[in-house]
Amino acid sequence: MSDCKKCREHMIEALYRELDPVHQDLFERHLAACPGCAAEHAGLAETLGLMAKRERPDPGSGYWDGYWDRLSRRMLWEATGDDRRPSLAARISRLFARLPRWSYQAAGAAALVLVGILIGSRLLGPGGRPVTTASVTPGPASSGSPAVVQAGDFIERSKVLLLGLVNFDSAVEDAYALDLGSKQAVSRELLAAAPSIRNGLKEPGQRRLRDLVADLEVIMMQIANLESGQDLDGVELVKQGVDRTGIFLKIDLDRMTRDSRDAAGAGKPSGAAGPFKKSQV
Amino acid sequence: MDENAICEGMARGDPRAFRELVERFKKKVYFLALDMAGNPVDAEDISQEVFLKVHRSFSTFRKGAKLGSWLYRITYNAAIDHLRRKGAAPEPVGDEVLESLARADGGLPRRGAADPGAALESSQLQDRIARALERVSPQEKAVFVLRHYEDYMLKDIAACLGLSIGSVKSYLFRAVRKLQKELGPAALITNGDVS
Repeated sequence: MSDCKKCREHMIEALYRELDPVHQDLFERHLAACPGCAAEHAGLAETLGLMAKRERPDPGSGYWDGYWDRLSRRMLWEATGDDRRPSLAARISRLFARLPRWSYQAAGAAALVLVGILIGSRLLGPGGRPVTTASVTPGPASSGSPAVVQAGDFIERSKVLLLGLVNFDSAVEDAYALDLGSKQAVSRELLAAAPSIRNGLKEPGQRRLRDLVADLEVIMMQIANLESGQDLDGVELVKQGVDRTGIFLKIDLDRMTRDSRDAAGAGKPSGAAGPFKKSQV
Repeated sequence: MDENAICEGMARGDPRAFRELVERFKKKVYFLALDMAGNPVDAEDISQEVFLKVHRSFSTFRKGAKLGSWLYRITYNAAIDHLRRKGAAPEPVGDEVLESLARADGGLPRRGAADPGAALESSQLQDRIARALERVSPQEKAVFVLRHYEDYMLKDIAACLGLSIGSVKSYLFRAVRKLQKELGPAALITNGDVS
């Protein structure tokens, strides 16, 4: 080490002991001979010693325990492109304001079908157990591209799965009746399929469908990540997320849109039967 | 689940891998964000942005790279972006986060809490350090924190943050000089620990 400039260049590495032995030795010899550099080194070392006493304010276990839930909720908000996070009522009214008159009639018909599915799954399901999973096949009237058909299947399966969750009432039903394990298995299947379905929906007119698949994907991820067994708090959180995002309304609107397109293509009136039928509950 | 399993799971789109990743790295990401942003509200927001980005674009993660280093880089960039945006408009934060942080703030562990004098001294020192850090730029703070508290080597910091080794040394030197200036001899005397 021949001069103070070189010494200064190596100061940081020397302070953190990152100099190789040869340079460290030269550095120390220069300090021994140069009071100015020695004083500077001592001052910086003292500062670092002081900074080592710093205590980072930890927000505490309550904060960390709730971290995942807050992140999950934000993922739901981001997936719906809703940064301002308004109330459910405000969002539904905003959604309805954009709809034409015919859609109200179709929504009524769709709601009737929904009630029918609910009653059917309750009364006709094996042993009257809540809905756990569903296999849905495209009906003969389906006229979309393979990606749209896949998306329709994905949406219908997700919907049946969600119905099983939102209709579960932990106050009156046993947690085992929920059969959360099989629902998580279905949610993982759906999650695995979601990326390729989304990637298949590249047409400009498929943006809404793609967004819906993405919304459902986030909810499926939440379900898949519930603590195995009887995570009833987690189930409640998923239910709140479903409620907050108005996902059933979006599903029904998507279905109505596809129904009306199919009906227009086939020259028949739009109906609630839709291109996808529930073949097994 | 080890780091390789997390990476493989993430590549497959396994949600359990994502949760494991979040649980494992949430503190590291949060604390770097906190050090760079200087307040817990922004740290919460930045750390969430980091994990959202990881979830959306894990495909950009280079196989064989260190997950922790990759996350630090995303955190560094997210914090810089966040602070730039925040310069234009502050963002609202949920009540529950504020409540959670308020609760935590009341229970900060301080060394020597059993001795009121020592507790006061420690508290004063922490305040001084916090004020001194406010004078350091976010980039300088990130480099300082990774070297001083996370024990990253200078070359690793350079690789992690996508900076040259010269820039890292320069940021670090400037950070330490600023801290020295802000803490000064008065801080050393007040603390009583340094002769």
